[in-house]
Amino acid sequence: MRPEIVMLALAVGACTWAFRALPFRFDLTGLTPEGWLSRLLAATGPAAIAALCAVSVLPLVKGAAPPAPLGAGLGAVIGLWVWRRSVVLATLGGALAYGAVFAL
Amino acid sequence: MGEARAQFAQGMVAGLPVVLGYFPIAFSFGVAASRAGFSAAETTAFSLIVYSGAAQFLAVALVAAGTPLLVAGFTLVAMGVRHLAYGPALMKHAGQGRTRRAWIWAFGLTDEVFGVALGDLARGRRFSEAFMAGLGLAAYLAWVSGSWAGALAGGGALAAYPAVEAGLGFMLPALFLALLLSILSRRQMPVILIAAGVTLGVTLAVSATAGILAGMLAGALTGALRRATA
Repeated sequence: MRPEIVMLALAVGACTWAFRALPFRFDLTGLTPEGWLSRLLAATGPAAIAALCAVSVLPLVKGAAPPAPLGAGLGAVIGLWVWRRSVVLATLGGALAYGAVFAL
Repeated sequence: MGEARAQFAQGMVAGLPVVLGYFPIAFSFGVAASRAGFSAAETTAFSLIVYSGAAQFLAVALVAAGTPLLVAGFTLVAMGVRHLAYGPALMKHAGQGRTRRAWIWAFGLTDEVFGVALGDLARGRRFSEAFMAGLGLAAYLAWVSGSWAGALAGGGALAAYPAVEAGLGFMLPALFLALLLSILSRRQMPVILIAAGVTLGVTLAVSATAGILAGMLAGALTGALRRATA
């Protein structure tokens, strides 16, 4: 195993665990909801996900992917999310729709 | 003790839908990691230690693109900040003093585990740490075993099945889009729009890595600087 890969996994894993566990130890509900720190923390996650979503979809819409599977995949993700509110179901359904239309 | 065991078992049963969903996504992570040059041991270690699907997929892409370790780490850690919101939401149901072992079971508090737990609590289930542990362990085992299976299958395993390969290749954009939909709110709309816009502009002008960093910073600063609204 490459040491830099193990180091990256340990650093990211420790931070992810801390983000999940620390709110139970230190009650973050005490933070002023409108304080700048609360707003920064609340905005960081959505900003990261929006950035990653944009960068992962960009190569597909720039022409690297055929339009029919892309439309089916994106439509399935949105439709399944609206229907069931499940990230896993929407992800699997989107991939399934993309693969199915690709096969046609 | 018997009550705790029953709650733990109920948690594992409640986790079955997550297990069924996680295994194929984890399998595709294993295949993607293998294709990017990760060994089976590295891939499995990533799932064992990090246990965060979106971060793991991104880590593979960043490492494969030769992104400096510090930049990759910063980007991946920033992605995980969303998990800070899950604890307080569960605490409202749990009450003080009933989360003494949260430092153990919170390791498995992924987006979907949180969603299932919150759904069960909203339907009237009493909060229990044993239930949370069972739910989290079921999902964790599915994730690690799926990653391991995908890594063993290897990057070329699906070459004979182009439609399956295409579907698995769409898994990452689908996952990020689904995650984005799950956090979409009127309040966060300016943050999301600015982060996405800056990311696209900088990616087209410079590189994807610079785009991600610039988009995240612009979005987070937008949230921090925005005037408080009623």
